Amino acid sequence: MLGKLDWSAIPFDQPIPLVAGAMVLVAILGVLTWVVVKGHLPYLWHEWITSVDHKRIGVMYVLLASVMLLRGGSDAIMMRVQQAIAYQSQGYLPPEHYNQIFSAHGTIMIFFVAMPFVIGLMNLVVPLQLGVRDVAFPTLNSVGFWLTATGALLVNVSLVVGEFSRTGWLAFPPLSGLTYSPGVGVDYYAWSLQISGIGTLVAGINLVTTVLKLRTRGMNYLRMPMFCWTTLASNLLIVAAFPILTATLAMLLLDRYLGFHFFTNEAGGNVMMFMNLIWAWGHPEVYILVLPAFGIFSEVVSTFSGKALFGYRSMVLATMAICVISFMVWLHHFFTMGAGPDVNAIFGIASMIIAVPTGVKIYNWLFTMYGGRIRFATPMLWAVGFMVTFIIGGLTGVLVAVPPADFLLHNSMFLVAHFHNVIIGGVLFGAFAGFEYWFPKAFGFRLDERWGKLAFWFTFTGFYITFMPLYIAGMLGMTRRLQHYDVAAWRPWMFVAAIGMAVLSIGVICQVMQLVVSIRNREALRDRTGDPWDGRSLEWATSSPPPVFNFAFHPDVRGEDAYWDLKTHAKQQLLGHHPEPEYQDIEMPKNSPTGFVCAFFATIMGFALIWHIWWMVILGGLGAFATFVVFAWRDHDEYVIPAAEVARIDGVNLEERRSLVSMAGSI
Amino acid sequence: MSDQTHMPVQHDLAPGEEEQHSVGERIIGYVVGLVLALLLTAMSFFIAGTDLVWQPSIPVALIVLAIAQMGVHLVFFLHITTGPDNTNNVLALAFGLLIVFLVVGGTVWIMAHLNQNMPPMDQIMQMRS
Repeated sequence: MLGKLDWSAIPFDQPIPLVAGAMVLVAILGVLTWVVVKGHLPYLWHEWITSVDHKRIGVMYVLLASVMLLRGGSDAIMMRVQQAIAYQSQGYLPPEHYNQIFSAHGTIMIFFVAMPFVIGLMNLVVPLQLGVRDVAFPTLNSVGFWLTATGALLVNVSLVVGEFSRTGWLAFPPLSGLTYSPGVGVDYYAWSLQISGIGTLVAGINLVTTVLKLRTRGMNYLRMPMFCWTTLASNLLIVAAFPILTATLAMLLLDRYLGFHFFTNEAGGNVMMFMNLIWAWGHPEVYILVLPAFGIFSEVVSTFSGKALFGYRSMVLATMAICVISFMVWLHHFFTMGAGPDVNAIFGIASMIIAVPTGVKIYNWLFTMYGGRIRFATPMLWAVGFMVTFIIGGLTGVLVAVPPADFLLHNSMFLVAHFHNVIIGGVLFGAFAGFEYWFPKAFGFRLDERWGKLAFWFTFTGFYITFMPLYIAGMLGMTRRLQHYDVAAWRPWMFVAAIGMAVLSIGVICQVMQLVVSIRNREALRDRTGDPWDGRSLEWATSSPPPVFNFAFHPDVRGEDAYWDLKTHAKQQLLGHHPEPEYQDIEMPKNSPTGFVCAFFATIMGFALIWHIWWMVILGGLGAFATFVVFAWRDHDEYVIPAAEVARIDGVNLEERRSLVSMAGSI
Repeated sequence: MSDQTHMPVQHDLAPGEEEQHSVGERIIGYVVGLVLALLLTAMSFFIAGTDLVWQPSIPVALIVLAIAQMGVHLVFFLHITTGPDNTNNVLALAFGLLIVFLVVGGTVWIMAHLNQNMPPMDQIMQMRS
């Protein structure tokens, strides 16, 4: 009846996951009770859960990523503490638990923090920057988000029901095969990634289509803001690469569930094929993450330097070059697997070549800042911090791209330090910069600058104190994923790294404090202009938060930096009385519970597949399919906002702006 | 969102968004495609079993016929054309082909070279003899 599921699945003998799980459960129940008692449930359901508004979905993506960042961060703290005390002792985490923690940390941080964070920001901003009213497929967008949330939910359920994978974040066979991992851990891993992978693919298709097909008048490809370009490149990579991940995990699951032999050592299987395929996805994946971050930095650097982006066209070219070359370097993740010198050399050279367009970008940002009037607001701090940190990470990356050097550094702490250096210094700093930069646009008030700067400085220094020692430990020969060790020379560095982790955590606390303080002072921090940073692209042309239809009129774009042109233009013909614009009815897509209901059934199906509860698998599958059919048979999917309502909403915005312009005129 | 999809930003059409043709023309297009596809399929089966042609040429002929089959599907059923209204579709196809070529070609190359540093014993014996 319940497959492999029984009471032994709940780890009563392990206090840490049980207490953590109980605390989370209490917190969730508390929030739910508060929501129901206060009567917020209808609001949540109508305005958020069923929303197909790209801005709302973007916010929910970022919220999911932030919550999961705390989860992945707690895993990181536990690992650093374990390695600091596990010198000639077992530490406080038993090996099987420690292995689950580093597997969950990697899986969560890549799939459920970095991915939703960048997809969320792209969802929030790209339609606004393109000057359009929505994404290409609004309901599909909601489905994509909720499927990602399903994956995150399943990973967290594994904390209390059963166990998580102990095989590292990529679950290499034969360790992840049925022989060495008979438990449900790898199944939790694989099914949550399969389900959230569909969500990611859907989001990718949606955003590619949006950038290619929905642009406002005059928004040529070469007038798009840089963030739109990196979104296009990143989502092209999603569409091209995620099917590889899905196929690879499907083969692993066939091995585990139906006795296939794709990745076994006997019966003609080849374990190396898994490594090859997973990295053919895995390498483009890191560019999927970092390209949007590059886009965010381009926007931030040009806004806060008060200059147009230096070398816009070279930036576009570099982005698209990275998009293609990222598919030619994947072997550098397994130089040591046995390939001969010619294979290794070609992939090593390709890996060094991909650093060239990245270098072009760094110089472009530097030249954008050069001669500009730089304002060091929080987003700009993150951007400058990124440039310094990312260059170090990039240089160590070029170092490990040299095959002979890689043979010494492979799977060492040096590698761990390298990829944290680029992913934290690149993606996470980018996500934070984007968060600070676009928060006023999403919510209508700015974030507190003082706490923001504190958060930056603690995170920045914490990062260096944590990860620079890991480089040294790696060069002293320490391998990654050690539960305990007996080498005295590594110990001081592990101590320093643990202290760094504490500093990093203070940074995270500051970030939370910033949010709390800003929400409390929101009236003082209110952004009435829609343009708090003196921005250059179209998202600042509408009010903050934007109305549901984004723009009352489709903006007319005449060049790069569309909104900057508009502002210069407006200042020149200062206070000229414009005739009252003629508003028209606007059609917007209706909210739909399709995404939420689909994800509900997908959760049931995923859970049932993990525990081999076959009747429930069928139930979940049928439910999800029925939801799709009901949605496909819908009659009306749009509603009309009458012209009078549009005029009322836009009038408020125009009034604010006129008063702003007249103030600027009187000075 | 109907007002946006028809904006004159560019002139490409999404797959499935047909240009205005009469029904007759469209039916003829599909029929020609069907006939060509069937013809190519029949030829593949015929070539595979025949001894009329030089035997080593059969695999090459099958590959050529398979690629022709893909071409027929793209042109007659997926309506990929070289016209200016199809730029995005052609680019998407080219990008897809490039990625498939890189991943499949790269995989074959990598997997063929995996044992170079430490070949299995029987391969070493072959090298000696």
